[in-house]
Amino acid sequence: MFRIIKRTDLTKKQSVIFRIIAIFGALVATSIFIMLIGFNPIDVYVSMLDGSFGSTYRFKEAIIQAIPLIITSLGISVAFRMKFWNIGAEGQIIMGAFAASYFALYHSNIPTGLLLLLMFVSAAITGGIWALIPAYFKAKFGTNETLFTLMMNYIAQKFLMYLQYGPWKDPNALGAGKIALFSDNASLPKVFGIHIGWIAAIVLVILMHIFINKTKRGYEIQVIGESENTARYAGMNVKKIILSSILLSGALCGMVGMFQVSGVNHTLSYQVANGVGFTAIITTWLAGLSAPVIVVACFLFAVLQQGGTYIQTAFNIHSSVAQILQGMILFFVLGSEFFIQYKLVRNRSTEHKIGKEAA
Amino acid sequence: MKRLTALMLTIVFVCMAVLSGCGLSATDNSENSSSTSTASGTTASGSSSTDANGLKVGFIYIGSVGDVGYTYAHDQGRKYLETTLKDKNITTLAVENVPETAEVEKSINNLIDQGCKAIFATSFGYMDFVEKAAKDHPDVKFFHCSGNKSNGTNFVNYFGQIEEGRYLSGIVAGLKTKTNKIGYVAAMQIPEVIRGIDFFTLGVRSVNPDAVVNVKWTNTWYDPQVEKDAATALLNEGNDVIAQHQDSTAAQIAAQEKNAFAIGYNSDSSKAAPKAYLTAPVWNWGVYYVDQVQKILDGTWKAENYLGGMKDGVVDIGPMTDLVDADIKAKVEEAKKKILDGSLNVLAGPIKDQTGAVKIPEGKVMTVEEQQSCKWFVEGVNGKINK
Amino acid sequence: MKNEVYIKIDNLTKTFGPVVANNNVCLEVKKGEIHALLGENGSGKSTLMNMLSGIYTPDSGSIYIKGKQVTFKTPKDSMAMGIGMIHQHFKLVEVLSAKDNIIAGQKESFFIGNKQLSQKIKNISEKYGLAVDINKKVYNMSVGEKQTVEILKVIYRGAEILILDEPTAVLTPQETEGLFNILKKMKQSGCSVIIITHKLNEVMEISDRITVLRKGETVGTVNKEDTSAAELTNLMVGKAVDLSINRVENNNNKTILDIKNLTVVDEENVKALDAISFSLSTGEILGVAGVAGSGQKELCEAIAGLYPIASGSIEYKGENIVGKNPRDIIKMGISMSFIPEDRLGMGLVASMGMVDNLILKEYQNQKGVFIEKKTARNLAEKLINKLEISTPGINHPVRQLSGGNIQKVLLGREIESNPDLLITAYPVRGLDINASYTIYDLLNEQKEKGVGILYIGEDLDVLIELCDKIMVVCNGRITGIAEASKITKEQLGLMMAGEHMEKVMGVGM
Repeated sequence: MFRIIKRTDLTKKQSVIFRIIAIFGALVATSIFIMLIGFNPIDVYVSMLDGSFGSTYRFKEAIIQAIPLIITSLGISVAFRMKFWNIGAEGQIIMGAFAASYFALYHSNIPTGLLLLLMFVSAAITGGIWALIPAYFKAKFGTNETLFTLMMNYIAQKFLMYLQYGPWKDPNALGAGKIALFSDNASLPKVFGIHIGWIAAIVLVILMHIFINKTKRGYEIQVIGESENTARYAGMNVKKIILSSILLSGALCGMVGMFQVSGVNHTLSYQVANGVGFTAIITTWLAGLSAPVIVVACFLFAVLQQGGTYIQTAFNIHSSVAQILQGMILFFVLGSEFFIQYKLVRNRSTEHKIGKEAA
Repeated sequence: MKRLTALMLTIVFVCMAVLSGCGLSATDNSENSSSTSTASGTTASGSSSTDANGLKVGFIYIGSVGDVGYTYAHDQGRKYLETTLKDKNITTLAVENVPETAEVEKSINNLIDQGCKAIFATSFGYMDFVEKAAKDHPDVKFFHCSGNKSNGTNFVNYFGQIEEGRYLSGIVAGLKTKTNKIGYVAAMQIPEVIRGIDFFTLGVRSVNPDAVVNVKWTNTWYDPQVEKDAATALLNEGNDVIAQHQDSTAAQIAAQEKNAFAIGYNSDSSKAAPKAYLTAPVWNWGVYYVDQVQKILDGTWKAENYLGGMKDGVVDIGPMTDLVDADIKAKVEEAKKKILDGSLNVLAGPIKDQTGAVKIPEGKVMTVEEQQSCKWFVEGVNGKINK
Repeated sequence: MKNEVYIKIDNLTKTFGPVVANNNVCLEVKKGEIHALLGENGSGKSTLMNMLSGIYTPDSGSIYIKGKQVTFKTPKDSMAMGIGMIHQHFKLVEVLSAKDNIIAGQKESFFIGNKQLSQKIKNISEKYGLAVDINKKVYNMSVGEKQTVEILKVIYRGAEILILDEPTAVLTPQETEGLFNILKKMKQSGCSVIIITHKLNEVMEISDRITVLRKGETVGTVNKEDTSAAELTNLMVGKAVDLSINRVENNNNKTILDIKNLTVVDEENVKALDAISFSLSTGEILGVAGVAGSGQKELCEAIAGLYPIASGSIEYKGENIVGKNPRDIIKMGISMSFIPEDRLGMGLVASMGMVDNLILKEYQNQKGVFIEKKTARNLAEKLINKLEISTPGINHPVRQLSGGNIQKVLLGREIESNPDLLITAYPVRGLDINASYTIYDLLNEQKEKGVGILYIGEDLDVLIELCDKIMVVCNGRITGIAEASKITKEQLGLMMAGEHMEKVMGVGM
């Protein structure tokens, strides 16, 4: 017999340890699955690592996967800190990509530097506005932001689908539903063989860390996240702070759209976000909303994804094993939340006997 | 905290739905165990893989090998390549479910990273990415299926004269229909699909000049639900035979549910819809794959575009089921014989477009360029192509 | 009265992590007695009762009910042995009637006829004088009525031993009297009652025997006849404590706050404050008495600019502040240390440390984008010394501090902002006697500096001793404002129940 007791004494360090144990537990559980389908889990895991670190190319690929995750997670973390459940990052990325692509496709004669700047700024603004819409409705009419942001994803995706098969269709594609490749003008420069989004990601992580911990607005965001009542009591303009921070959250996600179309895809498609907006929710949560830890969590997931693609050709395993592992990690981490908040205590067996007699 | 946990659970489900829906990752076939595995052999060491004994060949698929359709046909070709050249130390790597986005570029790079020196990219929309990759990787040979671009050095396109198979299946449909209305579920408005509809219709009208072919576009290669909905709509409009150009068997299944008949595509789908399936134009890519890989191994490979016909064995009409009456079968066999001996060229004029204007005059044959830029419907097609 | 022992608790020990909540506690309750369990906050009363009602399981020691050793795994086990617990927060379903609440969860009741049921409940209520309309919905009931339903419920379920956790905290004096009558009737019919409280006068009034707990240990059990309030206090606190609160004389009489016809309307369109008018001078403590939920919260929030005002004016230093935002009001020197029931709901950010909480109202005065915390760190150190706040560190989450320390942080911050008007609600709620007196001293210190203080309180004794004037609110209206030195608790109680002062004073004098 176990009893559940609420914990009050857990330190931050301990809760991080709990999460690490959870990830380890996920690895073990997935191992069982891998063994069931007839492979050696150690080999598979090693191979996944090989797929991300085995060559410079693979490592670069892992980094390229990590960049959008990191920046999107930063964006999501701002919203989550205020308990504004922005699960619309996917749509915000798409809309950012849309705005950036507009300049890339229709104003490609602008000099590179200026064009890239225009793409960047317009992507941030459009992503921000896309997030601001549900935030405004929440502030004004108390709508549920979780559903609202989720639905905005579909609007964005279908809008892009319309563009892709409609007005923006590449006339040279003989009718295929695709948008033309960007000119080289609209491509992000590379540093060490990776588009400069990685530098942007590092800079943004540092800025975000400073923003949350050292600035007044960061402090306000933390207070609002804890209790809106307290924030009002302290004289904060809660609505204004929420709206501006959600604008920031969406802008960060919008930037991701620009980095993806300009740095990676060199074209736009309605699949541009490719689930990043959702995966980033997981990484943000895993990282406990902390900017530096987000880097670690996102890189871990990028390695999982890159390794997952690799094992299917290297091992002839379905790459969904990597997705299973991701799901397991999430499952275990969510499960560990229980143990972070409660603990199980074993009832003494002597008591047990007495209890039976007495009853 | 409680609320957040609940939210996270919701998100997990959403993520799962989204990830599985948009085919985030490429996946490999699990059926065949002999194929890939670096574990069991050839650790690719870059430059040596073009040697006479050993070559890594990569395949990029738009769909899943389990689709019993287009991708399945290519994968059959891959398997044929492997068994035929078993003793030549050929290794094949395949990536499934690669959308026509920058994923293509990534998949190509991944395959090259793992040592592939020849890559078959099997979907039209991959073309620009393959072109770019060919420029970046001059030491790798790229084969792009169904497109119209090539560079004369390491990037060629290949396809088959599937119109011959389409034409023959049109004969079956034209003789089978009672309402003289035939439905056609079509994927994308690209020349490949349009030609398929055109020559299917020509086949239909060669035996039944009163029949019309009604087209519905799905704008997807593989989305069983959308395809099924389109087929059902056509059936409700009175079409009693459904043909299709899709990568799934959804249209055939819809036909079976409405007690109608269906013409498949790519491969035999009699198992999916036994009460509806008649026949299908089919591919036999293995012939081409073996030929090309053998040439690479022999060092005789040249960058030549390829358009193989029924004579070469790349395209065919699949076995006709018992639902096809013997006299129809005979008519089809007769036409097939004519194609094989050269007395029937389905591409030969006169061919009129929807308005009745002659596009290919008598005595002329549709050229490869005309085929690759074909954006018009023949007479007898009821449908619209967006400009 | 027989001397049969109903409950015997022998050397019970219960630890929570490093904290020993109960250490070898012993208690004996006889049949037909009212037994008071007395102790300061954190002395282990609640832990002990939670073990007795099966919510906690003891680490060691034994419980005997009617001579038989028992182990409770769940509250159900305890209930089966005839123990009924009345919690401070009632566990009633608001939308159901009293009757439905009473029978809810009882298996057999499903098959018993409605009439039979009503009759059974009626019998119980007549026997113990539990007057309540059993068909009335709980949300329509007053606090006192709800408590009666709770009692009915546990008796209906077969309780012979009733445990009441601070039952009078939410009651008016009149309601308290009603409760005591019920308890006395129960005692006469052979039930045992354990009443947890820290109000000495009640203990002296109702109980037969008193067990005092201090820091998780039993200090002793005494008969009421053999003891006095002073002795009990000494037992509770462990040293002699001066119980009187000094009232600092007020010789500064400038009006600082003048409220006229203030009306606010809550979300359900009910007037939470109905045309109230009063004024507060510098150097004055104005106490506000009233049953919980009579409009105190709305009054505080209205002054602080947090509650929309329907009509009326709030003049602060001659300026009407209605319509100003909370930021501006803070800047004008109005400080509100509103301590809601959960203490951390509004005044403090639970997960943040002292430093981050101290800058809460001050940071907006800082220039630039960045936040500066050095001053706050120094202030934190200063407050820790000055107010004897015990915390592991200035950045340790305040959530993990004890109630007293949390309140010291909150009040300390408000006082450090040098306010001219201090609004404080329930500042000693949940504090032990020593901590409470520290807070009273702090308030008096401010008063001497000329700060006007609005003190929302619940302990009428304290209000009478600490405040200059006492304003009584009932249902959002003022029933009277009286000189604290000229009014009695009973009169205040009548006013809390809605009687007007003129009438009450007439009767009382």
